[in-house]
Amino acid sequence: MPDWKQKVRKNLRLLAACSPEFAEQVTEELSGHLEDIYEDRLQTGMMEEAALECALNEAKYCRGNWLAVRLLKEDCMTGFTGKIGLPGLVTFAVAMVIAYTLEALHIPPKIIFFRDSLFLSLPIAWMCALPVCGALGAILSSRNGGSRLDRMISASFPAAMFGVVFAFVFIVGCVVSLFVRGYWQWRFVAWGILLWWTGYVVLPAIPLILGATVADQIKRVRGQAA
Amino acid sequence: MALVGAQIKRGSAEFAVLTLLANHPLHGYEIAKRIEQQTGGVLRFDMASLYPMLYRFERKAWVKAEWQTLPNGRRRRCYRLTPSGRKQIAPLRAEWRAFFQALQSITGFQNA
Repeated sequence: MPDWKQKVRKNLRLLAACSPEFAEQVTEELSGHLEDIYEDRLQTGMMEEAALECALNEAKYCRGNWLAVRLLKEDCMTGFTGKIGLPGLVTFAVAMVIAYTLEALHIPPKIIFFRDSLFLSLPIAWMCALPVCGALGAILSSRNGGSRLDRMISASFPAAMFGVVFAFVFIVGCVVSLFVRGYWQWRFVAWGILLWWTGYVVLPAIPLILGATVADQIKRVRGQAA
Repeated sequence: MALVGAQIKRGSAEFAVLTLLANHPLHGYEIAKRIEQQTGGVLRFDMASLYPMLYRFERKAWVKAEWQTLPNGRRRRCYRLTPSGRKQIAPLRAEWRAFFQALQSITGFQNA
């Protein structure tokens, strides 16, 4: 009896690029498949050499690297990458394209001024388009088996990214202010960050999640109708 | 017997596998073997087309896979259809019925 796992590994060298658990699972499953072919052919009265040839042909015929690439894709699309990471990045990219398009069309955000030069920037036109991005994130996550929480996180990714950027700016500013005396006036900084967070994180998250919720509902209703 | 073209086969693969799994859980080789037997060899899935599809189904939570030890002591990964996977069958069936009816109305051949 040949070592079927070794035959699979030999034909699917690219499996080494997959996660070890996934590669091991695939190797065991495919080697079982080859073993079943071999056993089946023996039961039909085929000679041992011919049965072996049949099983090995299946392994050769499966176009090793092409199969390995497809399996690698499935491995990458499982878990965080497929359920949150990629849908979130696509959602963010689309939201950014919309933002730049609006800027190119000279549609500025609405600015509300407060005292002490503080202002709230409200990208209203952008926010009107965000439900579409939210729905896109939820659909992409759902296609990869994302849970409701995964879908909502993917949908709200653009807002989360802005949140991270503002937090980063805040932290860098804090660090710089330790070395440069009077670099920041804390009252202004706190208000500034709060206002930017409101305009680009909290408020945009609402249409994003709204879009995701609507997409979820449509999918659910379609599922029930089917 | 004429083998069906790659495009049609690819499109029908999801429907065939989901329908088979709707009856009872099966492991990969059993799925390939049953499809080949039940279609008289017209449809045949090799490892390269079957397993990526099964993993895709698993990713979409249409099937749930678990290792089982067979009476002969070998371990096989059995695929069980989930309620979400079961929901996919009806729309696919409707699509294929519409497709065959459309084809039939053009070509005029029966039992398309």
